[in-house]
Amino acid sequence: MIAQELIDFEREIADLYNAQQIHSAIHLHSGGEDALIKIFKGIRKQDWVLCSWRAHYQCLLKGVPREKLKAAVVAGKSMHLCFPKYRILSSGIVGGTLPIATGLALGIKRRSEDSVVHCFIGDMTSETGIAHECMKYAKGFDLPVKFYVEDNGLSAGSDTKKVWGIQQLTNPPTFSYEMGRYAHAGTDGKRVF
Amino acid sequence: MRYKDEVIRSMKRLSYNENTVFLGQWFGTNKETLVEVPENKKIEMPVAEDMQMGISIGMALDGFIPVSCFTRWNFLLLAANQLVNHLDKLSEMSNGGYKPKLIIRTSVGATKPVDSRCQHTSDFTEGFKAILRNVEVITLIEPEEVFPAYLKALYREDGKSTLLVEYGTSYNDK
Repeated sequence: MIAQELIDFEREIADLYNAQQIHSAIHLHSGGEDALIKIFKGIRKQDWVLCSWRAHYQCLLKGVPREKLKAAVVAGKSMHLCFPKYRILSSGIVGGTLPIATGLALGIKRRSEDSVVHCFIGDMTSETGIAHECMKYAKGFDLPVKFYVEDNGLSAGSDTKKVWGIQQLTNPPTFSYEMGRYAHAGTDGKRVF
Repeated sequence: MRYKDEVIRSMKRLSYNENTVFLGQWFGTNKETLVEVPENKKIEMPVAEDMQMGISIGMALDGFIPVSCFTRWNFLLLAANQLVNHLDKLSEMSNGGYKPKLIIRTSVGATKPVDSRCQHTSDFTEGFKAILRNVEVITLIEPEEVFPAYLKALYREDGKSTLLVEYGTSYNDK
């Protein structure tokens, strides 16, 4: 899958929403396509992917068929997309997936399964207490889970750094946990749906 | 038949199932009632209630049956996000695809002979019965209620989890 296919999907969803064909909240990516495509080259079928309320790209890249995903979004499921067959679980609650991802990883480790959990969160979520707890626990017990921070500088409409009164996110660049991450994979200001 | 003995018997019985695993902080009643549970079945958790509940959900999605222990209802309240927004909603969120089965233990602190006071003796049972749709809340008052309730929680196949409320007063008096 190439970046333009991801962008085209979000465009189609935006058009449907603007045409009042979707009667639930949606959150769209705009930017970060190349970073996500690169990350997903290392994610296997047996791996878990946990996401937030903005998960269309992750679902497509994990293998969910385009029309199946579109049907779920049109049906109002965009805020918490779950596809058990593809080992995808999303939550519309800030920080909701972090401990679930950690528990999945704990189970995988106890059973010596060949699987890794990939948990995608936003920059505001990365500053919450539950994020710190889970990353600390995962690192302490060397669990097979990776946390990725999609930093677009915003939590919905709130400026993450401004409302915390900080100059830079705890993660990155000064975050003390050595977790997988990438920065500024969100809104690039060039595309407005 | 003593209340505490029945809880100990129940925990021992739960531990026979190859998928059960026990999570919580091992002190007080938790520690005393898990004395016959093998050590390799017990995972002592940091005090991080919402994380503990979420970890329990994650392990359940991986096929485990977590017995997640919260010493007081007041403490379990701190895990309400994972309990209400996730465990109770995952089936609906996933069109029935995710049905994690948890056994959640909590307790209402006794008021005699030592009164644990207002932050350790609250009973939120009725409130959560009204809130939860896919988690059955069961109160355990009498000794004879304990063992059957835990067996039901273990073997149920209706896609629901179970929250069992123990009572400090029953531990002391029955």
